[in-house]
Amino acid sequence: MSRDKGLLRIYKKTLLILGTLFLVWAPTAWLWAAEHGGEAAAHDGGAATKDLIARCINFGLMVIILFVVIRKSSMKDFFSSRRESIREKLDELKRGKELAENRVKELEQKLKAFEEEKKRILEQFKAEGIAEKERIIKEAKERAKQILEQAEFTIQREMDAARGRLRQEVAELATKKAEEMISKEITDKDQEHLVSEFIDRVEKLH
Amino acid sequence: MISSKISRRYAKALFGIGREDGNYETYGKCLEEFARFCEENENFFKVISSKIFSTEERIRVLEAVLAKSDFPDVVKNFLRVLLDKDRIGAISGIAQHYRKLTDEVSNITRANIITARPLKQEALEELKQGLEKLTGKTVVPDVSEDDSLIGGVVVKIGDMILDGSVRAQLEGLKESLKRGEYS
Repeated sequence: MSRDKGLLRIYKKTLLILGTLFLVWAPTAWLWAAEHGGEAAAHDGGAATKDLIARCINFGLMVIILFVVIRKSSMKDFFSSRRESIREKLDELKRGKELAENRVKELEQKLKAFEEEKKRILEQFKAEGIAEKERIIKEAKERAKQILEQAEFTIQREMDAARGRLRQEVAELATKKAEEMISKEITDKDQEHLVSEFIDRVEKLH
Repeated sequence: MISSKISRRYAKALFGIGREDGNYETYGKCLEEFARFCEENENFFKVISSKIFSTEERIRVLEAVLAKSDFPDVVKNFLRVLLDKDRIGAISGIAQHYRKLTDEVSNITRANIITARPLKQEALEELKQGLEKLTGKTVVPDVSEDDSLIGGVVVKIGDMILDGSVRAQLEGLKESLKRGEYS
């Protein structure tokens, strides 16, 4: 029902447009004919005016025929189904557009989230990288320090050991030499003196 | 090898008898004499202490020696018991423990004095007096010589050692040098 009303409205609009065109065209044609007709009138009398009227009638008949033909024919259904399909198509396109827009928004959000995630991961990796770098440098420094300390300790120990060995060797040689000298030089008087000293020490013990 | 514990037990047994009859010093001297005789006569000691020979044979050998000695009967019987119990091999240790027991009772201590050169009698007497003051006992000196001491004297009384030798001083000097005390 509403569909018929819509069609009728279209027809009315079409007639209104055609009528308006006719009304605009007719005076213009009339003036043109009057201007050029004045000259022709001198030669042809009112032949041009008649021709114009005939043309207008012809045009009006054509419009009427067209109106009737269109009304009777299946053009109405064609245009109706065409309009419906166009509407459906438009709706579909609209939905598609909405879906696409939603998809775009979704993808934009995902892209944004991805960018943020990427940024976060990069920052995390960067921070971890810096921390790892610092840790490696710290460990390397500590290891280097330990190696240096160990080396110093080893050197010191070796030096101490060498010093000890040298001291022992010197002590052995010195006491051996002293023993030889004392054995040669010691006399009975020295022995008496040593015994006397020993007795003094024993007496001091109690 | 007969343990020190067994030697001490036999020594105490004889010492107990000696303390009772008041002849412990005589018994000690006899024991030491017999021990010295065993040391000097190695073959005799081997025969009486070896189980290769029968007990009767060993007793006969021992009796032959004891017959020529003037040991009291107690000592002779003691030696017979030692042989019978196969403890005669420990005679040296038994004599040593017995001497310790007699020394304790007599308030005597024995000092082993080792000297690099012969000691003069005056010096020995002075040393003896000093050691007696130190120990509070009568000191019986046993002097021996050892030239490896280089000079000075070493005294050993029981577990106590007093070292006044040049060698000890040199050893002390050497240790001090090794420790770097003079560097």
